[in-house]
Amino acid sequence: MDRFKISLESRRLLTFIIISLVFLLIFIGLFNLQVVKHKELLLKSENNRLRVVPIIPRRGRVYDREGKVIIDNRPSYTVSVILSEQVKGVTVPKLAELLGMDTSMVRKRIKKNYVSRYQATPIKRDVPFNVIAVLEEQNSSYPGIVYQMERVRQYKNELNAESFTGYVGEVSESDLKNENEIDYRLGSLIGKKGIEKQFDNILRGIEGTEYEEVTAFGQNMGKSEEKETNQSVSGADLYLTIDNDIQLACTKAIDTFCCGTMIAMNPRNGEILALISYPTYDANIFSSVIPESLWNEIRSDSTHPLLNRPINGLYPPASTAKLISLGAGFEEGIINESSTFSSCVGGYQFGDRYFKCWKPSGHGVLKGVNAIEQSCDVYFYQLGLKLGIDELSNYYDLCGFGKITNIDIPNESKGLNPNSEYYDERYGKNKWTRGLVLNNIIGQGEILVNIIQLAQFFCGVANDGIVYRPHLLKKVLYPDGRIQETTPIESFRLPFKQKTIDILMEGVRLVVEGEHGTARFLQNDQFTLGGKTGTAQNPHGENHSWFASVAPLDNPEIVVVVLVENAGHGSEVAAPLAGKILKAYFNKKESNLPVVMSASKEEVN
Amino acid sequence: MLDYRILDWKLIGSALLLSLIGIVIIMTSQHGADSELMRTFYVRQSYWLIIAFIIFAVIIHMPPRLFDFSAYLVYAVSIILLILVLFIGSSRMGATRWISLGVLNFAPSDIAKLTLILALSRFLAYTKLQVASKRRLAITIIMTIIPMILILKQPDLGTSVVFPVILFSLWFWSGLSPWYLILILSPLASLVVASHIVAWVIYFIVLILFLLFLKPGVLFSVVVVITNLAGGTVLPFIWNRLADYQKLRILTFLDPGRDPRGAGYQIIQSKIAVGSGGVFGKGIFEGSQTRLEFLPERHTDFIFSVLGEEFGMWGALIVLILFGIIFYRAVMIAFRCRSRFASNVVMGATFMLLFQLFVNVGMTLGFMPVTGLALPFLSYGGTSLVLSWSLIGLIVLTDYHWQEY
Repeated sequence: MDRFKISLESRRLLTFIIISLVFLLIFIGLFNLQVVKHKELLLKSENNRLRVVPIIPRRGRVYDREGKVIIDNRPSYTVSVILSEQVKGVTVPKLAELLGMDTSMVRKRIKKNYVSRYQATPIKRDVPFNVIAVLEEQNSSYPGIVYQMERVRQYKNELNAESFTGYVGEVSESDLKNENEIDYRLGSLIGKKGIEKQFDNILRGIEGTEYEEVTAFGQNMGKSEEKETNQSVSGADLYLTIDNDIQLACTKAIDTFCCGTMIAMNPRNGEILALISYPTYDANIFSSVIPESLWNEIRSDSTHPLLNRPINGLYPPASTAKLISLGAGFEEGIINESSTFSSCVGGYQFGDRYFKCWKPSGHGVLKGVNAIEQSCDVYFYQLGLKLGIDELSNYYDLCGFGKITNIDIPNESKGLNPNSEYYDERYGKNKWTRGLVLNNIIGQGEILVNIIQLAQFFCGVANDGIVYRPHLLKKVLYPDGRIQETTPIESFRLPFKQKTIDILMEGVRLVVEGEHGTARFLQNDQFTLGGKTGTAQNPHGENHSWFASVAPLDNPEIVVVVLVENAGHGSEVAAPLAGKILKAYFNKKESNLPVVMSASKEEVN
Repeated sequence: MLDYRILDWKLIGSALLLSLIGIVIIMTSQHGADSELMRTFYVRQSYWLIIAFIIFAVIIHMPPRLFDFSAYLVYAVSIILLILVLFIGSSRMGATRWISLGVLNFAPSDIAKLTLILALSRFLAYTKLQVASKRRLAITIIMTIIPMILILKQPDLGTSVVFPVILFSLWFWSGLSPWYLILILSPLASLVVASHIVAWVIYFIVLILFLLFLKPGVLFSVVVVITNLAGGTVLPFIWNRLADYQKLRILTFLDPGRDPRGAGYQIIQSKIAVGSGGVFGKGIFEGSQTRLEFLPERHTDFIFSVLGEEFGMWGALIVLILFGIIFYRAVMIAFRCRSRFASNVVMGATFMLLFQLFVNVGMTLGFMPVTGLALPFLSYGGTSLVLSWSLIGLIVLTDYHWQEY
């Protein structure tokens, strides 16, 4: 068995070889990490060490045209606990007592929100300030309990302004995929609707960054000395064209009704003075976590508070559309100032169907302007048959219906302007009757508009045919003091000659001032006005009540359109509301408060 | 009286420098710690160094024969301590490893390493049995397995691995051919290779060719083949018997990314620490991995990572050179000395220290699994330091009396 023996010299040699191999392996290991992979691992150690902390900029405030706040920021306090600093048997009961929760609930919240022993674990959001004051005064008796402040949006609820303010919320995954929004990160706030969404890039400002050094357990060791802080830039403030007082007057006026929408607009430049969707919800609920019960309540509400009525609520324009019909008749040479149709006897026989006029006793023989004054359906039935579906549809189109108005809030619905192509598709070729024009010409049937389209049309009529783009943004005040004013943009011109427009204006005048006008009761000593009533037939219930008005007649400066759902005749419901709003407008004007406040020259520079 | 001039001062100096470097790194590793206790670990280690040095001084003044005569006795005492620790030991993190003597805790497993070296050295030095005889192998295996099983019971897998290493190195140093050692160890290799059937078949062909070439005897060959077959087939069985944390450690070693927050996290953070230190290091107290507590077990198992991060490659190389001096001196002393017992003791000590260095540093560099083996001289821990210095004492003592049989 001697072949298993090995000499002492060989043993020593072999031992040295083994020792050398061990040292060589260690050296290779060291060289690999400290020379070959040094840069990569140094970067990793820096990433370990430094935490990027975003500095959230102040989001811009939103004011009305006179500087009254519509959207503000308010501080919201979150109470948290730092577990590494808690005292057993003191911190949790104290916290429970402070927040009015029971201890098991506090423990549950700790478990749910725990990140690290050294990081603040949030327990309750939106804690009232008096609780924070207690915490601040007696902080030694609340070991490990801290609070953080963040700014949340505060919407002026009594304005009923949610239809255009919108709200903010945390950025969604799908938002993040959008390449236009590369500046957002998970957890950023982003405008979800309305002005907040449309002008998000102006409002939100630029996020800053700060680097702090943290331990493996997330304990903050203070600001990093090597990496400089990048300060944030506040968002710009917006001034809207909205007039706080008119908006309030609208809200007050519609209060007694179920649902509806209103708009007040300046026909000379397209500025929107008031915009109402009623009923609505409180946009502030989106500032904190919405309880599911509240959310369900809002969603299942039969009055649809989530429907943004001005831009997404689509209604038949009803008799308010008769101005378009009449204008088309004049332009196409079918009628003139003195021409008439067959007498209205309370209805009109077309084929095997009898089309009723709203007044069963009939209107007799009328001229165009009087047909507007009295809103005679039979006159327009006869005009419609001469005009034809496609010609009428063409005029609707040229007057801005069936397409978006480009108002500066997102997600506008374009409505529906049917023509023969549409009917062919809907019912099949030759499967529909020419009689449909009798509906369309009085604004019934399939045609659907939103209130902004109707308002901009009346603005055009009131402004010699020039339609300015309806808008809400008046000016932007940047944090560096720069001011950017919105210049009115001419959207399009009505397809009517001046003479036709004059006739239409005479028509709307007669509606109020005429002997038989459907809104005669609106006559007053304070201001002159014209308008047009509308009663939209609603297969689902009571008729919708429309009134579109223009004032004053000699030089119109305001157009008010009101729609009240399921309320009955336009003359009975919507017209008095419009009257109240106009009264509020002229009262304010007379009390020497400048309603149309233009920026002075100094401000521009 | 000793003639201090002829003591091996290079060896003593290297060990002393390593111990002092250890204290400095323990200090920097816990510099920013929250607790006063952790911040003052280096002070406690300094006291331990004084104790260790006194024990070293006592050892070098002893007659070398004393250790020879008392080898079996101290071995028996250490076995009793290992049994005792299972009953009266204090538990930490699920393992019962320490016996508490008032302020001091000591780990009997560290003492058992020393006493096993002494007992095996004595047996192998005086036995008349042939190097490869079955009785000789069997007796030494039993001597090794007793403390090993007791330590596995604690449980402490990392430390127990050291015991067979001591056995193999003493077999080798007392004359057993490394070929033979390879054959004896082959079932272990079979165990590992068995995870891949093709590799296992190839391994077996190589093994049989090896046996045919070496001709170690029919019975031995049969035993080797059978144990290899068994090794290959019991792998799943053993795997299922392992505790979850042991499985995790092995899996994590094979793939550190699979569990970045557990044991794999330690390896990853250690590699980041060493690598980010680069050639010159980040400077004392400046290692962010250390200071911000990304490195686990900074003052014990992963002390080499702190060295690598704060003192860079040059710091690591200085430590390696000091170890190199100790190993070189020790091998030369073992080679020269006339007492076979003393020579065995020195080489048992040398291989044990080398193994611990390799496993510990290999772990911090990411090419060895996380075993919990301390780095001799540097890692925080009193018994470990006393043990290391006792071994140095025995080596220096052997050198001083090299001419004695």
